[in-house]
Amino acid sequence: MATPFAFGEALVLGLASGPACVASCGPVLVPSLLAERSGLRLNSRYLSAFLATRLLGYLVFAAVAWELGALVSIPSSARSLIFALIHVLLAGVLLRYAYSVGRVCDHACASPELVTIGGEGRYRIPGAAVLGFLTGVSLCPPFVAAGVRAAELASVLAAVLFFAVFFLGTSVWFVPFAGLGWVRRNEAVTTVARMAMALIALYYLYAGLATLIRKSTYGY
Amino acid sequence: MATKVLPAREPRSVARSLLLTLPIALWSLLMFTPGFAQANRSERIASGITIVFMVVLFFMMMRTWATYRWRRWFFVALGLLFPVGFIHMVMVMRGTMGIPIEEMIAGRTPFCFLPIPLLILPAALTKTLVFPGSILPNGGMSGGGMAAMAGIWLAVTIVVGKGWCSYACFFGGIEEGMASVAPKAKLRKIDRRWRYGPWAVLLAMVLLSLALFEPAYCMWLCPFKAVSEYVAARSTVGLIQNGIFVVLFAALVIALPLLTKKRTQCAFFCPFGAFQSIFNKTSVFDVKIDKTRCTPCVLCQKSCPTMALTDESIAKGETLMSCMKCGACVDVCPKDAAVWHIRGTEVAVKPERARLMFLYAAWAMAIMFGGHVIAQGLATILHLFV
Repeated sequence: MATPFAFGEALVLGLASGPACVASCGPVLVPSLLAERSGLRLNSRYLSAFLATRLLGYLVFAAVAWELGALVSIPSSARSLIFALIHVLLAGVLLRYAYSVGRVCDHACASPELVTIGGEGRYRIPGAAVLGFLTGVSLCPPFVAAGVRAAELASVLAAVLFFAVFFLGTSVWFVPFAGLGWVRRNEAVTTVARMAMALIALYYLYAGLATLIRKSTYGY
Repeated sequence: MATKVLPAREPRSVARSLLLTLPIALWSLLMFTPGFAQANRSERIASGITIVFMVVLFFMMMRTWATYRWRRWFFVALGLLFPVGFIHMVMVMRGTMGIPIEEMIAGRTPFCFLPIPLLILPAALTKTLVFPGSILPNGGMSGGGMAAMAGIWLAVTIVVGKGWCSYACFFGGIEEGMASVAPKAKLRKIDRRWRYGPWAVLLAMVLLSLALFEPAYCMWLCPFKAVSEYVAARSTVGLIQNGIFVVLFAALVIALPLLTKKRTQCAFFCPFGAFQSIFNKTSVFDVKIDKTRCTPCVLCQKSCPTMALTDESIAKGETLMSCMKCGACVDVCPKDAAVWHIRGTEVAVKPERARLMFLYAAWAMAIMFGGHVIAQGLATILHLFV
């Protein structure tokens, strides 16, 4: 059974790995946040959606990690396949997000809503939520450390709780990003953010496709 | 691009021009003579030619009042001769332009100024430099460590701001030369949003450098790898990287400058240029538009190689922060409305004094930094004949 000590460990692990998490999520978070309208409230909403779905990603990951014993026990070829697919998906979402920002700006620049992606009407999802989930299930070093530790716990519930506390620790480092709401948005800022998103998407697309091609060619 | 200079006044007298050139001549001698004793014959000849070249160009700037036309000769020479000297050096040292992984691990990769903005965040957060070079002098293959390069850059930048991109950068000259070759621009309509390109590349590369813990721009996007050194293509990844370098070089440094007569790599892509723009806000010197004289004929806007002038900025009487202080707009203005300016002083009051002060600083830097690069390139060529 997990002890309070284990959760204290999760919190400290989260706090200590926060900068690495910020560095890892930065290429997705910063330009997409800059592409939103200005305003502390709207940017806080973005961050809330991003972090909430990132937590969801963490919890899904925790459950899987516990069920499978530990992430490290998954064959490396299967692991690379999963993360290559996530990279490709992330690239697609970023490109779609960059496109959606332009569309929103053309028609409703004063809109207080978050930029959405997806289809029309109720099928539209805030881009922040999708990006948060995808970064949540992406593999970064601190995440692996937490995954291995969570897999050692006695029950799936304890593993999920471990990850939730770990998430809280890392999230502290994301709070200052709400301050980007004070950056005044104009054509320059939005265009720079969209172009940067497209460039980063190209990198993720390359990373994902390169892994997929390598796996299909060499089998690893 | 400045197609012609419209002289607003008579040339300065030869005696006065010589007098104004004297400090630069002395500075040139001071910069080149200490190495004379150890230099071989071709290096001495190259140094002599460089001194004469730099001094004559400055004299012509003084005599004709024009800046851009003469600066361009220096800048194109710098751009063309840098690869000559540099490639020769890497070939002598390691026999290939490709950087082997062993050299990277040993920290012997030469450091240029382009990755400076990419190193700041990782260094601040982790106290680690994400570049495979040495911070100490003589650590890198080129003999200068990161600390030396960053120190020179900082000292120069504080004074001339983004003037670095017109008087010190050893990459921009090739595209400036290409932009001068075509008689007329074939591509005239350029979406002004492309001006934000360097900022986007800077943002993306800073974030990716932090995430990947490598200088992402050098690894993936630097067009000048095509004419300096590149990742040794021992794998498919290396091959892809080199392919990207060559395509970007061909497009941004060769084809687009020919078609647009603009410095397209600098204006639409270079992340270091964007970073350098920030220091235009702190630099002592800038270029202003005297609204009392401006018609406006927008000749300055057309002549600007980096699109740093817009209708709005001209109406405000200033250039955008991306201005590289090349002097094209000042040279081309028929009403002398585009003027050099020192911050904190009134616009168009003794603009020639502001120009002189800027040029002394910028040309002294050009001799110290670019002059040696030109001399090295020339010496490499002279080695074949002398």
